[in-house]
Amino acid sequence: MNEHFDIYLVGVGGQGILTIADIITLAAVDKGIDVNFFPTKGMAQRGGFVKAQLRLGREPGSYSPSISPGGSDLIVSMELSETLKAVRYGKPGADYVILGQRWQPTAVMLGKAPYPDVDQVIGEIRGAGGVVHYLDPGNMPGEMRGNLYTLGAICAHSKLSEFFSKEDLEKIIADRWKAVAQSNIETFRAGYSAPTRTA
Amino acid sequence: MKKLLSGNEALAYGALRAGVKVVSGYPGTPSSEVIASLLEMDLPGTFVEWSTNEKVGFEVAAGASMTGHRALCTMKMSGLNVCYDSLIGVAYSGCPGGLVVFVADDPGVSAGMCEQDTRGFAVMSDMPMLEPCSLQEIYDMTIIAFDLAEKIGGPVFLRLVTNNSQSHGTIEIEEKIKPADSAPMPPYDPAKYTKAGAAICMQQHRDLIERLELSERYIEEHGLNKLALGKKGGLGIVSVGITNGYTSEALDRLAAAGIDISDISTLRLIATVPYAKKKIDSLLENCSKVLIVEELEGYIEKFCYMEAYKNKFDVRFFGKEDGTFSRIGQYDALLVENGIRSALDMPRTDISLAEPPERLCAARPIGFCAGCPHRGTYMGLEKGLNACGYKKTDVFITGDIGCTILGSCPPFDILWTELSMGASIPFAHGVAYSGIPSPVIATIGDSTFFHAGVPGLVNALQHDINMLVVILDNGWTAMTGMQINPGTHQEFQKTNWKQLDIESLVRGIGVKHMWTVDPYDANAMAQATEQALKTEGLKVILARRECAIQAARRKVKYPQITFSPDSCVGCKKCINVTGCPAIELSGKIIAIDGMQCNNCGLCTGVCPTKALRAAG
Ligand SMILES: Cc1ncc(C[n+]2csc(CCOP(=O)(O)OP(=O)(O)O)c2C)c(N)n1
Ligand code: SF4
Ligand code: SF4
Repeated sequence: MNEHFDIYLVGVGGQGILTIADIITLAAVDKGIDVNFFPTKGMAQRGGFVKAQLRLGREPGSYSPSISPGGSDLIVSMELSETLKAVRYGKPGADYVILGQRWQPTAVMLGKAPYPDVDQVIGEIRGAGGVVHYLDPGNMPGEMRGNLYTLGAICAHSKLSEFFSKEDLEKIIADRWKAVAQSNIETFRAGYSAPTRTA
Repeated sequence: MKKLLSGNEALAYGALRAGVKVVSGYPGTPSSEVIASLLEMDLPGTFVEWSTNEKVGFEVAAGASMTGHRALCTMKMSGLNVCYDSLIGVAYSGCPGGLVVFVADDPGVSAGMCEQDTRGFAVMSDMPMLEPCSLQEIYDMTIIAFDLAEKIGGPVFLRLVTNNSQSHGTIEIEEKIKPADSAPMPPYDPAKYTKAGAAICMQQHRDLIERLELSERYIEEHGLNKLALGKKGGLGIVSVGITNGYTSEALDRLAAAGIDISDISTLRLIATVPYAKKKIDSLLENCSKVLIVEELEGYIEKFCYMEAYKNKFDVRFFGKEDGTFSRIGQYDALLVENGIRSALDMPRTDISLAEPPERLCAARPIGFCAGCPHRGTYMGLEKGLNACGYKKTDVFITGDIGCTILGSCPPFDILWTELSMGASIPFAHGVAYSGIPSPVIATIGDSTFFHAGVPGLVNALQHDINMLVVILDNGWTAMTGMQINPGTHQEFQKTNWKQLDIESLVRGIGVKHMWTVDPYDANAMAQATEQALKTEGLKVILARRECAIQAARRKVKYPQITFSPDSCVGCKKCINVTGCPAIELSGKIIAIDGMQCNNCGLCTGVCPTKALRAAG
């Protein structure tokens, strides 16, 4: 097992990507693992680029919050095109858990600007030596929250499981939103067992 | 007690542990959460406020410190430019109560504005500036900063960067200490607290330099700078603040790659100013090569060159002067690792990809939220210009700081400039003198107007400038995350704070031509614009409607608009004119995203077939 683990998360404002990082942070605190969670939210508006960097299991005081290019063990993305901004930060061999939602900017919607397709994104990741776990958003039941669904897939497909078990994360999720614990756990489990495309 | 906190919250808790009496400041990413978190707490005996601007905030804190209380002032780097005149004055006078000035820099520019290095201000004002790295260090150094300020009798800077101010982790904190309820009368001492006369001013300059020397001794005695000498004649590394972490990590990476790092000497500084002269000299004497790792400007590096010259040390330096590092952007461990590698004549770690993956990424320009009142202001402004026979590109319009500047983005593309808080009005005033063939218009948000817009308006009024000022009043300091400003509705003002009314203020100083409109009524905004442009002299339009995000948070509901798909001909005019993110294309026609739409109604005014209709 790695003693430390770095995660780079990307998405757009309004998707709840920071909640994934939040839950992993709380799970780390719960287990006494050193953690640094560094979100970059941008402005007050929705729909802008959002990223977060999580560093687990390092010696307190011996590092800074930013992950170096080529340094992440795990990349998480909830927006297909934004995935491309994270590829530079993945280690060769890093896991990429991607929920392929498309938040199209207006120019793309109007057919005035291009938007990458899944094969292009996967091609870039493989070019950087990454291991792809692509979740088709079409498989996710509409009422579910994409972030907890993605977290389930992270738990199933990445080495984060060497730090936290499925039960560890479920406990945090249940404690976090008591009123909707049941449906949130179901979402997490749906993501855990969701089919993934790897090539 | 252990607590999960952000860097800014750690600083807030540190100040409470230090028994802070007054905390003042003005919002600015990445510094805002210090005051934001304190305002959520019940703090008997401590006064916490959002001040009108950073200069005012600093002066409030300095006043409290003059009576012997501890005080903290917070701001982003741009704010330091605003308050610097008063700050340097207090630095020269000194102050008895611990006065700490927290400033957050943003290397790598994640929040906009100039990528400036505020350490330069510490150099200029001879003020110590502590630069903690880890979250725990932020808490600990905040407490030390108050102690240091009191020991030297002058203000002390605490400098964070986006990286650590915005990070979250667990921190060991202790109970807060309640400040004293009162203070004795401060001594009457004009020689200290005025600048009346050369003798006084030069004595203050002498005292200032002495305080910096005292702080150097304090830092030395408390062991805040850490020197670890390695092999004589080997490589030495100097790092400071946030780069201490990058350097540790870079050394770990080298060790993991099997490289022997035991010969390397390191000097980890907690502060650039005061320069750690003794320790720097020891390092330079010990090493034949020295790498200096500091983000942005090369202040320490230049000091090292000077010390080597004075002491005739034969050292080869690696840093910005020789091109190893850049003066631009944020650093990381890989960058530092490669700096060490080049100083050791080793091959660099190359992680570059064949082609940048970002080249395929869809551009994602930011724009107004669905239902943003500013959208209606700019739509109406353009319509009014058209009614006067101008295309929007024919008219010179200055922008200002905040969400209001998004009028410079598509589909509006209507603002020519963004300079600094409040500059829109005097900037336009200057252009109005120039004789360009265009009406001149300034636009400014409510918080920005209170911050530094009022003096510019007074100036334009006094000099009878023929221009239009549009104040976009959404009731909040929105872009930085919804802070309360003087115009925020009374319901949201804290305890005994009072709401001020921009309309009365503007009329009160004597503006004769003023229109107050609801920006959700783009036609009213257009009419006001048309009338204003046909009127000589200084005109003000106040476009007033609450920020959509804040209104939604408190569950304000507007009457529902209707969309009839059968009438939609797919002309996309609603999308092209409003740029509202709640309008999507669904096949050949549009669809409204009910999760985002707040029924502001602006799109209904542009739909040629009435497929989109206002309520009622
Ligand atoms: C001197 C200075 N202080 C603080 C900031 C940070 N800042 C950026 S936008 C903004 C909010 C402006 O609020 P307002 O004028 O009300 O416009 P809104 O965002 O609400 O539309 C602030 C405080 C800055 N850029 N410069
Ligand atoms: S945060 Fe408020 S003021 Fe800013 S763009 Fe959104 S709705 Fe407009
Ligand atoms: S009414 Fe129209 S312009 Fe206003 S938020 Fe809804 S879709 Fe956007």
